Amino acid sequence: MKEIIRRIASSIVLIIVVSFVTFFMLMLIPGDAVEISLGTEATPERVTELRAALGMDAPWYTQYMSWFTHALAGDFGVSFTYGENVTTLLLSRLPVTLSLMLMAIVIAVPLALTIGVIAALKQNKTFDIIARTLMQMGDAMPQFWIALIFLVYIAAQIEIFPISGFTPFSESVYGGVMSLFLPAVVLAFGMIATLIRIVRSSMLHSLKQDYMLMTRVSGVHPVRAIIKYPLRDALIAPLTVIGIQISGLISGVIVVESIFSLPGVGRLLFSAVLKRDLFLILGLVSFIVTSVIIITLITDILYILLNKKMRRNES
Amino acid sequence: MKTKIGVLFITLMFALVLSACGNGSDEAKELLNENKNTEAKDGLKIAISVDPDGLDPHRTTASSTFVITNNIYDTLVKVTKDGEIEPSLAASYEQSEDGKTLTFNLREDVQFHDGTALTAKDVAYSFERIKDELGPRKDNYAYITEVNVIDDYTIEFKAESPSASFISDFAYPWAAIVKDGADETLKKDPVGTGPYKLVNWTPQDKIVLEGVDHYNEGQIQNVEFKMMPDSTAQVTSFKKGDIHLIETTGDVVDTLGDATIIEIDNNSVQLMAMNLENDYLSNKKLRQAINMAVDKEELINAVWWGYGKQIGSHYPPVLKGYVDTTGTYPYDVKKAKALVEESGAKGITLNMKLPSDYPNYVAAGQIIAEKLEAIGIHVKIETIEWGTWLTDVYGNRDYDLTVVGHTGRIEGYDLLEKYNSTRSDNYFNYKNTEIDDLLSSIKVELDEERRMDMYEQVQTILAEEVPALYIQEPTRIYGISDDLEGFSAYPIDVFELKDLKFKE
Repeated sequence: MKEIIRRIASSIVLIIVVSFVTFFMLMLIPGDAVEISLGTEATPERVTELRAALGMDAPWYTQYMSWFTHALAGDFGVSFTYGENVTTLLLSRLPVTLSLMLMAIVIAVPLALTIGVIAALKQNKTFDIIARTLMQMGDAMPQFWIALIFLVYIAAQIEIFPISGFTPFSESVYGGVMSLFLPAVVLAFGMIATLIRIVRSSMLHSLKQDYMLMTRVSGVHPVRAIIKYPLRDALIAPLTVIGIQISGLISGVIVVESIFSLPGVGRLLFSAVLKRDLFLILGLVSFIVTSVIIITLITDILYILLNKKMRRNES
Repeated sequence: MKTKIGVLFITLMFALVLSACGNGSDEAKELLNENKNTEAKDGLKIAISVDPDGLDPHRTTASSTFVITNNIYDTLVKVTKDGEIEPSLAASYEQSEDGKTLTFNLREDVQFHDGTALTAKDVAYSFERIKDELGPRKDNYAYITEVNVIDDYTIEFKAESPSASFISDFAYPWAAIVKDGADETLKKDPVGTGPYKLVNWTPQDKIVLEGVDHYNEGQIQNVEFKMMPDSTAQVTSFKKGDIHLIETTGDVVDTLGDATIIEIDNNSVQLMAMNLENDYLSNKKLRQAINMAVDKEELINAVWWGYGKQIGSHYPPVLKGYVDTTGTYPYDVKKAKALVEESGAKGITLNMKLPSDYPNYVAAGQIIAEKLEAIGIHVKIETIEWGTWLTDVYGNRDYDLTVVGHTGRIEGYDLLEKYNSTRSDNYFNYKNTEIDDLLSSIKVELDEERRMDMYEQVQTILAEEVPALYIQEPTRIYGISDDLEGFSAYPIDVFELKDLKFKE
């Protein structure tokens, strides 16, 4: 329990540090929202005047403090580009991205488990070699490329997959699933290779343990023995990397959402950066960091709990 | 253990369902609408690649905004396809003898989308707003010193000096008329008098418009702009029939099959600017050499698939008063080499900053760089993001060469004024008193013939002095599905939804 409180406290500090670093970096890189909105119509006088009018001429630490105090009160400001509350924008995008990521996980995890387990049991046999080759290929293919291939050769040819856009689940569950299926598969591609590798190696590791020899000596049926010990390790193995995978997913989400024209958080962040929409970037980054931290925290806690249970079982 | 995993999955699925229930009801309504649309041959779908920069016409310079707001708001006068001015919200207008006063008589039958009637007060407020500190075009309207409401339907504008672009300044989409008292919420809740009103805007997803009763009523009731950042997705959807109208590029034109392809002279100018602050580039001979080293036709073919018109100065062929100066420095590598030799610039290195957000400019820059290597000038290319480009090149003038485009205007003066040596947007660092004098005369010359004459002089001087390598006036290419007709584009980068209709 003490450990958990300590983790939560350090997470909060981390979130503040990240928001600060983000803010500082945005101040350092050239170009700001004013210059971008004025474009080639900008004259230096106009830029200075508009900055002053928007309160962007204040020193950066004043601006940061003002943002930070508002953020503490739950007010993340108004997006310069959209004239809309950052929170409203984020909440309207979240369903798309969350569903997309969950769907990717739902596709990737069971598939990775099956392939990983079989590959480990048939180590160095044909299945294992094919699985390993596929893993290499999966790693090598960039996601934007797979996404484009899917778009041109699957979405364009098969009527049931829309080329672009998102159908909310409240409108049609079928439509929603179909509009996210291809993008989710692309995302799943990006994480599946790592997952398979982890499942496979954890299986192999357990299979070689002395207790496996014991089960054979004591006459336990091999299938039963495998289900009871190595498979368990293999099942929780993905859990340890899922936190890392999710932060990886976020970068994939930006690409996939752009290609499939999905109105999600990734694309929102991408365009916010291009337009230097300060409050929107800060809001989104803080949110993403917070979620990654929370997910890691949850996986860690789950892991501890599962481990405890296992230890109890063994004793 | 298994149950734990099971619980985890159920929780995940639950979160999925919950998160999906966010914005239910109006989406459902839309779906109903869509079903209705298909029966009456309605429901126009247009692909756009960039989100508008808010829907407030007075707070941005982004053409992605004007493509939409042009249909939501009206302006006092309008520009026709041929660049002539015609009445719009103003039923008529007159300019005083001395050219310093413009009086508009407003139509009396105009309503905003919320039902309030349009009066001169709204017009006065709109220009107050355009000219305030948050208005990006403030400087363009600074010469208007007085706005007087005469009565409910008459309004008068006074300028400090006669101006050639006085009337055309009221035709641009950024001179749109908004409601008296409208504030910064226009960015997301636009209220105008135009033929279409906003139904909803889901940023990065779609913008839904609906026709209203209007003196310029559109034929199509329901219009949806679909945001599709990826051009492959746009073309694929267009071919599949999900989208009726896309703006496209020369390379895919042949693959669009039955679609109508419309090519429109874009009224803008693309060029490679040179910084005359650089000692070598301040030498005209080197600039001439650079101009002779590049075969513009080849360049346009390579980068824009041949869609574009060569230019010889900062003036697009479609604009009134254009003279053909493309022959001033014909492609001649031998001569170019000799000129480089003469100017003592052989073996120098110039930096070229290219905006990565515009892949065409980057490609053009790379080709030009190769050509310059061939005449003995080294080019160090640096590709930078648009925001950085604006600061470095446009703001600080810290560059030698760059490739960029300038948006079109109805009056040539607005394009050319940046060559005035005192202008802060003269990023070429170009100084020529003759040009300065000509520009100040053009600005106040109301006689069209004499003005055109001076435009000709400016063009000839620029073509001779070449502070830039003038490349082309680009061609915009639109793909239109074969059941749609009436499309036309205007010389200010927009098209009007009201022109479009489905074939019977």
